[in-house]
Amino acid sequence: MNFNPNDLVGILPAVILTLGGCALMTTEVFLRKDGPDRRYQPFLAAVFGLIALYVSLSQLGDPSATLFAGAAVADGIGRSISAVVSGTLVLSVLLAAGYLETLSASRGEFYALALFSAAGMCLLSQATDLIVVFIALEVMSLAVYSLTAWLRKGTKPAEAAFKYFVLGSFASAIFLYGAALAFGAAGSTRIADLALAVRNANAGSSMLVYAAGALLTVGFAFKVAAFPFHMWVPDVYDGAPAPVTGFMAAGVKAAAFATLARILIGGFGDVGASMGPHGWQSLIVLLAGATMLVGNVLAVPQRSVKRMLAYSSIAHAGYLLVSIAAMAGSEPRQDAVFGLVFYLASYAATVIGAFGIVALIERKLAPTGASDDLTTWGGLAQKHPLLAAAMSLFMLSLAGVPPTAGFMGKLGIFRAAIEAGLVPLAIFGVLTSAAGLYYYLRVVVYIYMVPSTKPEPVVGGRMLTAGVALAACAVLVIWMGVQPGAFATLTQSSLAGFGK
Amino acid sequence: MDSYLTPYLPVLILLVIAGVMCTAISLLAGKLGPRRITSVKEGAFECGNPSTGDGHARHSVRFYLVALLFIVFDVESVFVYPWGAMLHDFQAQHLGWFAFGEMMSFMATLALGLVYVWRKGALNWSADVNS
Repeated sequence: MNFNPNDLVGILPAVILTLGGCALMTTEVFLRKDGPDRRYQPFLAAVFGLIALYVSLSQLGDPSATLFAGAAVADGIGRSISAVVSGTLVLSVLLAAGYLETLSASRGEFYALALFSAAGMCLLSQATDLIVVFIALEVMSLAVYSLTAWLRKGTKPAEAAFKYFVLGSFASAIFLYGAALAFGAAGSTRIADLALAVRNANAGSSMLVYAAGALLTVGFAFKVAAFPFHMWVPDVYDGAPAPVTGFMAAGVKAAAFATLARILIGGFGDVGASMGPHGWQSLIVLLAGATMLVGNVLAVPQRSVKRMLAYSSIAHAGYLLVSIAAMAGSEPRQDAVFGLVFYLASYAATVIGAFGIVALIERKLAPTGASDDLTTWGGLAQKHPLLAAAMSLFMLSLAGVPPTAGFMGKLGIFRAAIEAGLVPLAIFGVLTSAAGLYYYLRVVVYIYMVPSTKPEPVVGGRMLTAGVALAACAVLVIWMGVQPGAFATLTQSSLAGFGK
Repeated sequence: MDSYLTPYLPVLILLVIAGVMCTAISLLAGKLGPRRITSVKEGAFECGNPSTGDGHARHSVRFYLVALLFIVFDVESVFVYPWGAMLHDFQAQHLGWFAFGEMMSFMATLALGLVYVWRKGALNWSADVNS
């Protein structure tokens, strides 16, 4: 093995985010306890995130390169996911700034953990070796587990973090078992070698390949919150601080979906997709259909907007799985990959905005111990017309109404599914997302048509940084919806070097 | 399947032999061995000292922190020893500076962690936990 300094350039976004995390963690301990001098922390974290965003965007057009003797790769999809993750991080830390300050929980470790987690996500999207995938997965997950428990008071954060930690570790173990079986089949942990083994699979090793594929998929199905591994989502999303929930929903999904696609396409490939009677395509089709149905149906009775968004995130995992299923055929893979990356980017902008507004409501409610309910949202339009408009925009985008980002994302994914011959799945997806309209628009109805029951304002605390982040989310949502061509470089280059 | 797993057959045989032998030896020792029980033999063995107190004593939560820090620096030494032994070989393959840089960046990361736990007061045994 030879060391090439260019390898570090390939993972530059992750390196920058790690350095930022180290800087925030070490400077934190030299500050006075409870001093007012922690104001710089969210902005420092955002600066590191912006640099990582700039680097991943500027590298987008570069040719793809194999890094660290095949353990990782710098290719289009890795760079576009790094860009999505860095953008997610920037928006989330800006939203967290005022939230944490209001709840007097502002500490450097919060931002350091967020940066470390984002570094893990970037590495995860670039990993082409199952060991590297596992390490990056753990770097990402352990940081997110601790962020979930950030507000230690009360039982909800403890329950959420413990549940997430135990179930997450279990899923990691299942992934690891799958990796071990893949090693048994391929004699190597490289995804490329796995592809060779799948192609040459005989009667003896095909059982190993089956089991490895199933277990690896289960590990990631947990991380992306697909049915039937979605049980943790409502409690964890509800118990975590709202800015963390947004970060989790957008960032973890982006990184995990990119890796799932890389393992299934790069590792198991078209041979594995149609292998025997049950290739991975039929597995993913089943998962996608069930996830869309369960997420949308269970979201309907939710009274808490935060919990409703948790179930909606399950439904969105289902739509994203449709694009993975559509990648199985070789011909329309281009559209499916574009669809996946665009959907991840549009979902990130939308869901961070939605959870950002939930955070504004939550930081007013948190000291009283109450949790968010649809009636809390009544009267938002009279007191904060801009916030009400932004929330309605995010709800419409989640529901997939034009001209928002969510519409273009769904359009891309379902078009790819139809081109791949998955017409029933696409029709089923459209039907379930129509059911989603009901619970998204109910929030809008409460915001605009139900008068407030309480005289005091709905949101509290300083609003400037959160307002800037929310405005950025809203602009992105409209921009991606009206002019998706502007993001073509992000999605077009994602195909380079991927899925051969 | 047969041809695929054939190389692992000796491992299976070893497992079976080991299992049978261990079970047999412990069963035979239990059946055939003489039993002369005295109160000294029944007592808990604590490095020769007479045992005191309850076996289910509660440990300070600080031990958890010590264990955590121990693992961090223990893993460091696990990496450093082989690295030190192999450095000449690395140099022979013209990887000397690479290996050196890798270890230095690893140590620097750990040093940052040490600065963090030091300033946080995690190494301060006598201080109050809340301070």
